[in-house]
Amino acid sequence: MNSSSLNLLIGLAMGLNLLALGSSRLPSLIRTMSLQGVVLGLMPLLVEAHAGWAVWLIVAATVVGKGMIIPGFLQRAMRTANIDRELAPFIGFVPSLLLGAGGTIAAVALAQNLPLLPEHAGSLLVPGSLASVLTGFILLIGRTKAISQVCGYLILENGIYLFGLLLLHSTPLLVESGILLDLTVGVFIIGIIVDRIQRAFDSLDTRKLTVLHE
Amino acid sequence: MIELLESIIRLALWLALAPLLPGLINKVKAWVAGRQGPPVLQLYYDLAKLWQKQVVLSTLASPGFLIGPAVAWVALAGVALLMPLGPAGSGLSFRGDVLLLIYLLALARFGTAWAAMETGSAFEGMGSVREVSYAVLTEAALVAAVLTLCLQSGTVSLVTMLSPAAGAGAALLAAGLFTVLLAENCRVPFDDPNTHLELTMIHEAMILDHSGPPLAVILHGASLKLLLFAALLTQAVLPLGGLPAPAGMAMLLAGILAVTVGVGLVESLLARFAFRRVPLLLTTAFLLCLFALLVAWKGRVA
Amino acid sequence: MTPGILLLIAGLALGFNLVLARRFPAIWLGLSVVAAGAGLGAALEVLTGGTAWEWRSAFSLGGEPLHFRLDGLSALFLTLVAVASGAGAVYVRDYWWDGEQKRSAPRSRLWSSILTLSMGLILLAANGLHFLIAWEAFAIAGYFLITLDRDRPAVRQAGWLYLGASHAGTMGLFAFFALLAAKTGSWELGPLRDHPELAPLFWLALFGFGVKAGFFPLHIWLPSAHANAPSHVSAVMSGVAIKMGLYGIVRFSGWLPVPAAAGWVVTGLGATSALVGIAFAFAQNDYKRLLAYCSVENMGIILTGVGIALLAVTHGNALWGRLALAGALLHVWNHGAFKSLLFFGAGSVLHGTGTREMSRLGGLWKRLPVTAGLFALGSVAVAGLPPFNGFVSEWLIYLGLLETTTAKGPAAWAAMPAMIFLAVAGALAVAAFAKANALIFLGAARTQPAARAHECGPWMRAPMWLLAGLCLALGLAPVLVWPAIAHAVGTWQPEWNSPELPAPLLRLGTVQIALVVLIAIAALMLWRRAHREAAQRGLTWDCGYATPTARMQYSGGSFAGIATGWFRGVLQPERKLRRPHGQFPSAALRLERIPETVLEYALTPAANLILQISTTVRRLQHGRLQFYLLYVVAGLVAMGFLVWWGGSL
Repeated sequence: MNSSSLNLLIGLAMGLNLLALGSSRLPSLIRTMSLQGVVLGLMPLLVEAHAGWAVWLIVAATVVGKGMIIPGFLQRAMRTANIDRELAPFIGFVPSLLLGAGGTIAAVALAQNLPLLPEHAGSLLVPGSLASVLTGFILLIGRTKAISQVCGYLILENGIYLFGLLLLHSTPLLVESGILLDLTVGVFIIGIIVDRIQRAFDSLDTRKLTVLHE
Repeated sequence: MIELLESIIRLALWLALAPLLPGLINKVKAWVAGRQGPPVLQLYYDLAKLWQKQVVLSTLASPGFLIGPAVAWVALAGVALLMPLGPAGSGLSFRGDVLLLIYLLALARFGTAWAAMETGSAFEGMGSVREVSYAVLTEAALVAAVLTLCLQSGTVSLVTMLSPAAGAGAALLAAGLFTVLLAENCRVPFDDPNTHLELTMIHEAMILDHSGPPLAVILHGASLKLLLFAALLTQAVLPLGGLPAPAGMAMLLAGILAVTVGVGLVESLLARFAFRRVPLLLTTAFLLCLFALLVAWKGRVA
Repeated sequence: MTPGILLLIAGLALGFNLVLARRFPAIWLGLSVVAAGAGLGAALEVLTGGTAWEWRSAFSLGGEPLHFRLDGLSALFLTLVAVASGAGAVYVRDYWWDGEQKRSAPRSRLWSSILTLSMGLILLAANGLHFLIAWEAFAIAGYFLITLDRDRPAVRQAGWLYLGASHAGTMGLFAFFALLAAKTGSWELGPLRDHPELAPLFWLALFGFGVKAGFFPLHIWLPSAHANAPSHVSAVMSGVAIKMGLYGIVRFSGWLPVPAAAGWVVTGLGATSALVGIAFAFAQNDYKRLLAYCSVENMGIILTGVGIALLAVTHGNALWGRLALAGALLHVWNHGAFKSLLFFGAGSVLHGTGTREMSRLGGLWKRLPVTAGLFALGSVAVAGLPPFNGFVSEWLIYLGLLETTTAKGPAAWAAMPAMIFLAVAGALAVAAFAKANALIFLGAARTQPAARAHECGPWMRAPMWLLAGLCLALGLAPVLVWPAIAHAVGTWQPEWNSPELPAPLLRLGTVQIALVVLIAIAALMLWRRAHREAAQRGLTWDCGYATPTARMQYSGGSFAGIATGWFRGVLQPERKLRRPHGQFPSAALRLERIPETVLEYALTPAANLILQISTTVRRLQHGRLQFYLLYVVAGLVAMGFLVWWGGSL
C-alpha cells in the first residue's frame, strides 16, 4: 500500500470538502464535488498492490460516474431548470466553513482514539471519511437549493466510499458498486423531480416547499 | 557601535529597495496585458516629487493627521529591523521578537486609520473601517502561521524560526501567507490599487485626502510593508538557514522576486472580489494556516 | 518607616476621612492623598524588600483575633488601590464638586473613603471572617457610589443589578469561606497547598470572585454599572475594584490546591472573555460602555495568563507558567493605569459635552486638546500597542503562550487556541479604539453640545497626566518594575521565586525607547516639511463634494458594522429600519441596538420562569384553615410513603 501518496489524495479530498463548503455558486460546487469523486475514484489503485481487472473496472466506473456522468447530469438539470446560480445559504459560508474545519480537526482527533487495525493507524482514511460525511450533512442542512442538496448527498456518499476502502480486502467492491448504482439512480430521479418542481412551482428553493405540508 | 552602524545600513537597504516592488508588479501586469507599462522606478520618481510638494490640510485635521503617517512609517521601519535576511540574520533579534513584529504591524494600522479618520470624510471612514475589520481575520491567520513556525522550529525568535524549512505543511503555509500578503497590502482580489475614485477600496480610500510629504511617507510605508511580507513568506517556506550564505541570499532574492511576480500575475488574471466574499477568502487563509499548524503538530515528534 | 507604620497612617487618614468627608472637602482631599501615599509606600516597601509584613492582635472582632498580612501578592494589588484612589480623589475635586452636586458630592467623598478602606482591608485580611466583612462593605460602598446620581432611573436600575449580582457572588464566597473553615477547623487564611481535599472549593471561589472580576458570562452587571456611575467612580471601579475579584482568584489559587481541570477552564474562560468582551465593546455606541466592555476583555487577558500558570503548576512548574503569570500580574497594574486614565478622559468629555453617545460627538480635539491627546495615549496603551505598557504585559503573556506551544506538551492545546483568540481580540481592540477616538475627537462636531464643549480644569487634568506618565514609564522601563512582579510571582508559587529575568525585558524596553524617539523625530521632520511654507488649509476634499456636512461622517454603527456582522451570533444586534416613502418622505428611521445578550436572552427569561412558577405556587397560600390541615395530612402521608419506600430498599 502506497500510504503517503494515498494520504496526500485523502488530504486533497478533505481540502475539497472545505472548498465545497465555501463555494458560493452552484457550478463551482458541482465542479468541486466531481473533482472529489475523481480523486476518490483513483484511490483503489493505491490501496491495492496488484490491481486486477476488477479494480481497474471499478476505478473506471467510479471516475466516469462520479466525475462525468453525475456532474454532467446535474449541470444539465441546472441549465434546463434555469436555476439561479447563486447559492442561498441557510448557514452562512464562513460559519459552515469554520464548522467543516472544526469537524475535520475533530475527525482526525477522534480517529486517533478509535481501535483501528494497526495497518490503518497511520492512514487518513477514517478521518477523511468522517470529515466527508460531516461535510455532506452540513451541506444538506445548510443549503436550500435542491441541487446543492444533491451535492450534499454525493459528498456524504463519498465519505461512505472512503470508509468502504478500509474493507477493500474483505469485500470484493460489490457493496460499493451497489451504493454507486443506487446513487446514480437517485440522482436521476432527483433530476427529474427538480425539473418537475421547477415546472410546477417556478422555484427550487426547498424552503418554499414547506407550504405544501398539508 | 559597529552593531548600530550595521543596523542603520541594513535599514537603509530595506528603505531603498522597497519602492522597487510595486514597480516590478506593474511591469508584470503590463507585460501580461501586452503594454509597455511605467518604468520600474516609477514609485521613486513619484516619492521624490511628492516630497517636494506643498501640503493641503483639511480644516478639520488635527496634528494627528501628520503624526499618524509618521507612526506608521516608523513602525514599519521597526519591522524591517526585526525581519531577518536569510543567512545575514536580522538587525535586532531577541526572544519573542515575533510578537513585537505583529504588534508593530498593528501600530502601523492604527496610525494610518487614525490619520484617515481625521478628515471627517465618509470615504476615509469606509477605508479605515475595512482596514481595521479585515485585519481581524488576517491577524488570526498570521498568528496561526507564527504558531506553526514556532512549533516546527521549537523557538520563539524570528531568526531561528525562519531558517529551517516549513516541513510537511509548507504548501498550506505558503498559500495561507500569500493570501495574507494580498489582503494586508490591499492587492487584488481584496482591493484594487489601480482604482482611485471607487467606493470599493481599502487602502486608496484611506489616503484620499493626503497630499505631499505625508502621502509620500504613506506610499513608501506601503511598499515597505509589501517587501516585508514577501520576505516573511519566502523565509517561512524555504530552508534558507541550511544553505551557504551566497546561495541563501540568492534564494531569498529569487523568492521575493517570485512572490512579486506572483502578485502581478494574480492581479492580471483575477478580478477584485465582491466585498461580501472577502471574509470567506480570509477565513480560508486562516484555515490554511491552521491546518499547517495541525500538520506541524502531527509531525512534532518526528 | 516600616510598612506597619505606613499602613497605620493610611488607615488613620482614611478613618478621619469618614468623619470629615461631608464637611471639609479640602481636608478630605489632603488626607486621601496622604493615605494613598502611605499605602503606596507600604506596598512598595514589601514589594522591594522581599519580606511579608504581618501583624496579629489580641483584639478580636466577631470572635476571631485580628490578623493582617501584606505579602508580595497583596502588596501588588495595594499599589494599584493606592494610586487609583489617590488619583480619583484629586480628580473628583473638579468633577463632582459641591457647587454642582450639593447633595451627592459629600456622599461621594464618604463612600469613596469607605471603598478604599474596605479594599485595603480585603488585601490585608488574613482571616476568612474579616475578609468577608470587608468584602461586604466593599460591595455596599460600590453600590452607593454607582447610584450617586440616583435621580436617573437608568442609574438606579444599574445599581440594583450591581447589588444583586454582587450578592450572588458573595453568596458563593460565604459558602467558600464557611466550607474552608469547616474543613480546616479555623478561619485563618494561609498556604494550604498540601490538602488535596480542598481542591473542589476552587470552583466556588472562581464563581464568587468571578462575578466581581466581571469576566464573561458573569459580567452582566459590569457594563451598565460602569457606564452609569460618575466617571471618577467608573475609573476606580474599572481600574481597581474588579481587580479585587481577580485578587481573590489569584490569591486562593495560590494558597489552596486546585482541581486538575482548573487551568483548562480558567484559560478557556479568559480567552473567551477577551474575545467576546472586545466584540461587544466594538459594537457599543456609548463610550463609557465601550470602556466597560473593554474591561471584560482585559480581565479575560489577565485570566488567560493565570490559567496558563495554573496549567504550568500541574505540569511540574514549567517555566512558561512563570512568564504568563508575570504578564498577568503586570497587566493588573497596566490595566489599572490606562483604564483609569481612559475613564477620567471619558469623564472629561462627559463633563464638557453632557452626552455619552459617540454619534453625537466629533471634532472635540479642538476644544479639548489635552483630553484628546491623553485619551489617545490611553487608547494606544489599552490596544496593547508598543511603545506603551499594555504591550509589555501582553507580550509577556503571549510569550508564555508561545513557549507553552513550543514545549509541545498537552498544555499546548490550551495555549494555541488561546493565542489565536487573543490575537483576534487584539486586532478588534485596535479597531474599537480607532473607532472611539475617531468618533469622539476627530472629524467635525456632529451636534451643538459637541461644538461648544469645554476643556476640563487642572484638578481633572493632573491625575490624567500622572496616569499617562505611568503608562509610558511602565512601557519604556519594564525592567525597573520586574523585581516587584517577580516577588509577587514568587509569593504565588514559591518554586518560581527567582530574581532572574525570564525574558529579554531590558532589550524590549530599549526597543520601546528607540521607538518613541524615532516616532518623535519622524513626526517632527514630517511636520517641518509640511509647514515649510505655510500649509494650505482647505475643506476636506471628499472626492470633490463641495458642501460636506458633519452628519455625512461615518457613524458608530457603520464603523462597527462589518465586524458586528461576524459576531452577530453572540451580539444579537437589533435593527429597526423605516425607509422613506413617497415623493415627499416625512420620516425615516434606522435604529441599531446591541442588547446585553447574557442578561436579556438567558438570565431574564430564566428569572421570569422562576417568577411564574413562584406565582403559581403562591396560590396554595390562601388562608383557609381546612386546606392547611389537608396539606399537613398530605405531607404526613407522603413522608410515610417515603419512609416505607426507603425501608424496603
